[in-house]
Amino acid sequence: MTTSAIVAADHLSKWYGQVIGLNDVTLSVPSGITGLLGPNGAGKSTFMKLVTGQLMPSQGEIAVLGEPIWQNPGLYFRLGFCPEQDAFYERMTGLEWVTALVRLNGVDEARATEMAHRALATVDLTDAAGKKIGAYSKGMRQRVKMAQALAHEPDLLILDEPLGGMDPIARRRTIRLIKDWGRAGKSVIVSSHILHEIESMTANILLINQGRILAEGNVHQIRDLIDDHPHTVHIKAERPRELARRFLAYDDVLSLKFEDEAVVVQTGRPDVFYTRLTELAAAGDLGTIHEVTSPDDNLQAVFQYLVKS
Amino acid sequence: MTAPANVTKPTLLASTMRIFDLSLGQMLWSRRSMLLAFLVGAPVLLAAALRIASSADRLGLPRIHGARVGGAALFGMMMWLLYIRFIVPVLGVFYGTSLIADEVDDKTLTYLFTRPIPRAAVLFGKYFAYLACTVLLVLPSVVLIYLLLGPIGGTLGEAFPTLVSDLGVLALGLTAYGAVFAFVGARLKRPVVIGLVFAFGWEPAVLLIPGYLKRLTVAYYVQALVPHAMPQNSVVSQLMQALADAPSLPASVVALAVISVVALWLAGRTVERREYVLEQ
Repeated sequence: MTTSAIVAADHLSKWYGQVIGLNDVTLSVPSGITGLLGPNGAGKSTFMKLVTGQLMPSQGEIAVLGEPIWQNPGLYFRLGFCPEQDAFYERMTGLEWVTALVRLNGVDEARATEMAHRALATVDLTDAAGKKIGAYSKGMRQRVKMAQALAHEPDLLILDEPLGGMDPIARRRTIRLIKDWGRAGKSVIVSSHILHEIESMTANILLINQGRILAEGNVHQIRDLIDDHPHTVHIKAERPRELARRFLAYDDVLSLKFEDEAVVVQTGRPDVFYTRLTELAAAGDLGTIHEVTSPDDNLQAVFQYLVKS
Repeated sequence: MTAPANVTKPTLLASTMRIFDLSLGQMLWSRRSMLLAFLVGAPVLLAAALRIASSADRLGLPRIHGARVGGAALFGMMMWLLYIRFIVPVLGVFYGTSLIADEVDDKTLTYLFTRPIPRAAVLFGKYFAYLACTVLLVLPSVVLIYLLLGPIGGTLGEAFPTLVSDLGVLALGLTAYGAVFAFVGARLKRPVVIGLVFAFGWEPAVLLIPGYLKRLTVAYYVQALVPHAMPQNSVVSQLMQALADAPSLPASVVALAVISVVALWLAGRTVERREYVLEQ
């Protein structure tokens, strides 16, 4: 293990009864932004829970910012965690919730409120700060989770699938926020099952599948291998048919279909497609785009492809 | 790891109080508390019905097994049969076992366990929120019952000392049962089932057996504090009366305090060491 690493794992394994969550992982995560890429069930969340000290290693060791994390609450002054699960105290307002959590960091009420306001402004939730979380949209819920993670300005931010369910504008803002955080000298570990998402935040990735780290390094090397692999995007929108008509003009769109109020697109060039989609959402002339998701089978197929090649 | 320069590292007490602040509102407006309101509302309605019935009766005293009983006796029976033997253990089971389990089921535990506070503070804060919540709902209902039943065949002043001791007994019972079931909830799987078996299987059974086994119950000490005589309205009650081996009042209070502190300490220790796996 290197001492300069923000996270260092040495033969780290975690199993739940007979099920292996993480299998003999040795790695060292450098400072800056690191993407953890893998399909659902690959072990990303298990790794993140070990990094955040919620789980105890079954075997091996893990050090975060140079210290063991399990039963070391003092380390949480320097950590911020945004979990994947959509779980909240629904009756509290966003401001009350973030303030209450920041207060657990030993901050007095007035300062905690000020920090919560700042964090909510950072994720563009100032206008909704006084609304009950139960009334938030999926994207707003994602953002308020981010706010509680970064409100105390931690050195290391750990984000588990932070873009899931966000609309294109919120996605772009969140990606920019993560990049700004990295530029400010902080470290971020961000997980996703969408290569394009990770790629838009960092070039440094960890590829994980079936509890093992398959590769570490520059995203572009991986990208070259899978550039032509079709990528599916599920877009929930106010006017899906008009959106689809516009997509038909794009040369990277391979196929289109409708599901309820959504249009499902297969694209050969996800980066180009997402850029255009964000521009469309910002222009707003084809109605509101509510939610953009990408099914897990994209990456599953990519991994199968990588293993075969 | 030390706290940043401009932040004070939260102590166990400060962290406990902050979790208390965070939990009390959630607990008071939970579905469980709605059930609790119904549970403590039912005896109040019963008391109101008795008061109305006694007003309609010429002699003003309700009959039980043919004998006329006054308001003080009715109040004592309700305390004994409904509160001490049923409501207090039920509240202990349903709230105590859920202190951590609710956060696990709702998947909100992550937010509390990734803050720089001792994990035990989460349990302690929620435990005190449980106490505040149950005391706030249970004790006023008892006062209402007293106000409704006290004037039947007597005066409010006569039974007032009994009311004060009853309120104390209920608070002690809620404290001890809550602590025991907080430990059960933190330590065991299926804590509600185990809690119910303990409160309504083990405790009543063991209280019937002569010897020392009954000292391994909370009910033994709580029931010893009750200022009312046990009603002999059933074979079981008569048997319990015959086998009664009540500890002294100071011994009971000390025993309940020791049970509460030890159970809470064990629960806190369990939460500190245990891994909680949240389903995705």
